[in-house]
Amino acid sequence: MEIFLQACVNGLLIGGFYSLMGMGQNIIFGVMKIINFCHGEMLMIGMYLTFVFNTYLGLDPYLSIPLVVIVMFALGALIQHTLITPSLGTKSFTNLLFLTVGLGMLFQNLALVIFSPNYRTITTSYSTKTLSLGPVTMSLPKMISFIGLIIVTVALFWFLRYTPTGKKIRAVSQNPIGAEVVGINAKRIYIITYGLGCALAGIAGALLTLFYMVYPMVGASFSFKALIVVVVGGFGSIQGAFFAGIFLGLLETLSSLIVGPTYRDLTVFVTFIVILVVRQMIKLRRR
Amino acid sequence: MKKILSIALIAIIASAMVFAGGSSESAADDGTSPIKIGAMYALSGTNAAIGTNIMRGVDFAVEMINEQGGVNGRPIEIVRGDTQGDPKVGRSVAERLITQDGVHAILGCHQSTITQIVAQVCEQYQIPELTAISTVDNLSTFGFKYFFRMCPMNSIYVENQFMYLEDLGNQKGTPIKRIAIFADNSNIGQELIRCARLFAPKYGMEIVAEVQYNSGATDLTSEVLSIKAANPDAVLCESYINDAILFTKTLAEQGYQPPVVVAKANGFADPSYIPATEGISNGIASVVEWNPDLTKGQEINAAFKEKYGVDMNGHSAESFTAIWILKTAFEQAGTTDGTAVRDALASMDIQGSFPNGPEIILPYDRIKFGDMEVDGTAHTQNNLYASVAIAQIQDGEYKTVWPFEVSSTEVQYPAEFK
Repeated sequence: MEIFLQACVNGLLIGGFYSLMGMGQNIIFGVMKIINFCHGEMLMIGMYLTFVFNTYLGLDPYLSIPLVVIVMFALGALIQHTLITPSLGTKSFTNLLFLTVGLGMLFQNLALVIFSPNYRTITTSYSTKTLSLGPVTMSLPKMISFIGLIIVTVALFWFLRYTPTGKKIRAVSQNPIGAEVVGINAKRIYIITYGLGCALAGIAGALLTLFYMVYPMVGASFSFKALIVVVVGGFGSIQGAFFAGIFLGLLETLSSLIVGPTYRDLTVFVTFIVILVVRQMIKLRRR
Repeated sequence: MKKILSIALIAIIASAMVFAGGSSESAADDGTSPIKIGAMYALSGTNAAIGTNIMRGVDFAVEMINEQGGVNGRPIEIVRGDTQGDPKVGRSVAERLITQDGVHAILGCHQSTITQIVAQVCEQYQIPELTAISTVDNLSTFGFKYFFRMCPMNSIYVENQFMYLEDLGNQKGTPIKRIAIFADNSNIGQELIRCARLFAPKYGMEIVAEVQYNSGATDLTSEVLSIKAANPDAVLCESYINDAILFTKTLAEQGYQPPVVVAKANGFADPSYIPATEGISNGIASVVEWNPDLTKGQEINAAFKEKYGVDMNGHSAESFTAIWILKTAFEQAGTTDGTAVRDALASMDIQGSFPNGPEIILPYDRIKFGDMEVDGTAHTQNNLYASVAIAQIQDGEYKTVWPFEVSSTEVQYPAEFK
C-alpha cells in the first residue's frame, strides 16, 4: 500500500510535467495548426538556462523561473516572428515540419557545442532534504516542483479563460477567420502563443532541473511523451492534454509497479492503442 | 526561376559528389598516404557523452603515434563515423566509411547491437574491425573472420562482480547471499541478467529481484521501491549514464541504502557521474576497465589530463589501447590490405608494452586474440587475457578496491551514500 501511494505521488508529479509539455504543444497547435517538433528542445533550453543562472549567477533554480520565462517567451516570440509566421503563409505542412525539426536539431547541437555532452545536475542546500507525508517520501525539490506545476496549470487556465489576451488566443484557435474579422491581430496572437508555449516548456524545464539532469538530448523523451499526450488528449484541447498528461504519468509508474518494470512501456502503449481505437469506434458509431 | 535554381543546385551537388569520389580513389595505397581508420561511435544523440570520451582516447593515441612518425612513416588518419547510437544508422555509416572514405580498418562501436551490424559489413568488404568497448558475449560467437574484441566480454565482467561479492563477504564476515539486479531492457542489460543467472548458483547466491526499465526513463521510483521490497544484500547494476544518475538520486530520495551496489561500469564509470551525484554516491562500486589510481599508465594519463582537463576513463583508456593495437597490426602487416592486417591481428601477441610504444595501461599485461569457451559456447578472436578491476567511490572519487592484492584502499561496507 505504501509503495502504491508512493507510486501514485510520483506518477502525478511526472504526469504534471507531461501535462505542461502537452498543454504547451496544444496551445500552439490550436492556434496555428502546427506541431512544434522542437518543444522538447525548449524544455532543454529552459533547463540549461536554469543551470546557467544557478552556476554562474548563484540564483536559486526556483527563483530563476521568472527570468527563464522572460527569456523563453522572447526566444519563442522571435522564432515565431522571424521564421514560423513567414512559413505559415506557404500553407505547406512539410515546410513547417522541417522548420521545427530543424530548429530542434540546431538547438541540440548548439547545446552540445556550448555545454559539451556531459550530464549536469544542480545542487542546492535543500536538494537532498526529504519530506515524509505519512507513508510517502518525497524530496523537497520534487515537492516544490509539484506545487509549482499546480500553480502554473491553474494560472494557465485562468489566463486563457479570463484575460483579454487569453480570450483572443481561444478565439483564433476556434475560428481564425472570424477572429480576424472582429479585429484580432492574428499575427500578434501567433507571437504570443508561440512565446507562451515555449515559456511553458521552459517552466517545465526549470522545475525539472533540480531533481533530474541536464544534457543536450534531455528533451527527446519529454517531447515524445508530450506528443502522446497531445494525440490522446485531442489536438488543440488544453483540458484534454492536462488530463492525458496526468493519466500518462500515473499509468507509467503504476504499470511498472503492478505489471512489472519490464512491461512499463508495453502497458503504456497498449493502453493508448486501445484508447485510440475505442475512441475512433465511438466516433464512428455516433455518425 | 525556381526551377533553374533547383537544377543548378542539383548540378552543384552532383559535381561535388563526383569530385569527392574522385579524390578518394586517387588516395590509393602508394606507401606515403595516411592510413585511414574509421572510428564509429555515437557523436550525437543520447550517447554522445560516451562517444566523446572514447574519441578522446582515440585522438590522443593517434597524435602520439603521428608524432613518433606514424606507421612506417605513414601517418594515421581517423575518419569519424557518427552512429548517433542508432543501429539503423550504423550500417550506412560503415558502408560509407569503407566505400567512400576508403578506410583500412574500423574501430568500433560502443553499443553492441551496432557493432554486430558493422561487423557484418566489415566481413563483407574484408576490412578488419576491432572493438575496444562492446562487451555483449555473442559478438564473438558468429565466427566472424575480420572482427576482433579487445575488451573482456560481459560474462567476464559479471563473473568478476560475483568474485568481488564473494571475496567481500568473506573479508567482512557477512556472506552476501541475496542479490538484486537493476538493468535496462536493452541488449546489454539483458546480458547482465543472463550472466547473473548463470553465475549466481556457482557462487552460492540467489537472485531475489530482477528489475528492468527502459533506458531514458523519466522516473525510476517504482523500480527502486521494488528492489527495496526485496531487501537484497547486494545490487548489481547496468545502466547508461542518465539512468545511473536518476537511479542514484532516487535511492537518496527514498532513503534506501543497499549495503553493496556494484555497477557494471557503463554510466556509473562515466566522468560526469560523480560530479552529478555529489554527496549521494559514496560507497557505490563499479567495474572499471581502467582507473587513474592504477599504477600503470600514470604518465600517459597525466599528459591526457593536461590536454583534455579530465582523467582518462575506462573507455578512453580502452580506445587509446585499441589504436595502438591497430597501429602495431598495420606495422606488422607492412601493408593496408585488409586480409594481411587481419592476419597480423590474429597472430599478434603483445606482452607488457607495445613495440616502440607505451606499456599496456589496462589492468592486464598481455593482449592476444584467440578462441575460448564460456558456458559451452565457443567464442572466437577475443582478447584472452582481458580482465577488469572493481573500484568504489570514496570521498568523491573512484578508488580501486578489488582484486584485493592490487588495491591499497579498504572497501567501505556497508556503503554510506554520502
